[in-house]
Amino acid sequence: MTGLVRPIPDCTEAAMVLVPAVPFHRFLGMREEVVEGETRYLMDFCENHVGNPLIRTFHGGVLASFGEVVAATHLARSLARVELPACSTLTFDYLRPAFAGTICAVPHIGRAGRRITTVSVQLRVENKLVCIGRFLFPVGRGSLGGSACPAVGT
Amino acid sequence: MSHMKPELDQAAMAKAFFGSQHPLFNAFGIDVVAVVDARAEMTMPFSETLADGHRALHRGTLVTLLDTTCGLAIFSALRSLRPIATIDLRVDYLRAIPAGSGLRAVVECIGWTDSVAFVSGRGYAVGDKMPLATVTGSFAIDTLGPAFDTTDRSAA
Repeated sequence: MTGLVRPIPDCTEAAMVLVPAVPFHRFLGMREEVVEGETRYLMDFCENHVGNPLIRTFHGGVLASFGEVVAATHLARSLARVELPACSTLTFDYLRPAFAGTICAVPHIGRAGRRITTVSVQLRVENKLVCIGRFLFPVGRGSLGGSACPAVGT
Repeated sequence: MSHMKPELDQAAMAKAFFGSQHPLFNAFGIDVVAVVDARAEMTMPFSETLADGHRALHRGTLVTLLDTTCGLAIFSALRSLRPIATIDLRVDYLRAIPAGSGLRAVVECIGWTDSVAFVSGRGYAVGDKMPLATVTGSFAIDTLGPAFDTTDRSAA
């Protein structure tokens, strides 16, 4: 395990490892850690993430956004790009209620094609699978790629 | 078409949940524009704190606004604030969000069964007729927790 893990007091004061220049990433409060050579992306619940305040679950849009940023970051790193690519389509399955806690995202490149790359992301809470996201990235000429966000910090 | 309840009730119902104490909706500045007859429209203003680094709102805010508006359209269709939860959501991004622009989402609940509601809608830049994104999704009805208009919030 390497030392990228940092405790996060709340979303707004999050010590960002990822793309600190992007305000929305600070809103999400993303951080990352490396376990046995595999990067894992983490998001800690804060009040501004709440979907259903009566049972304190993450908002579906926050979960999908987190998945999308993780997918884009993972793809950018695999391509050694400094800009986050923009996906053209996201499909997101909500399998269980994502209760307030720490979400762990594990991305996987399904297929890196010449025109389209598919990235899937599993979101887990305490090792329980809560969501699966699938993100399509046009990577060829004339794609939307590069318009999503500026430099990826490492 | 018949309306069991007047439009005003639906608007009041929407404000009860979406316009009051919800931390995320407050942080986003989400506003209910219209809710009637299984259709809902919501907006959010541009905000620097939710931007993407190019001085446009991050795409995640559009997904969140669309997901929220889907919920409101379903509440309108069901004429109640029974608890619902997203089962699956698909968003197609048609073009980039313009810099400095607020967002508008318009969603219709196309149909529903006892347990699942189906929605379809679009996201726009405020003041623009060209869609930025389309959304389709399905939501489970009568999921975990009390109804959203329940008075006893201490249950949370």
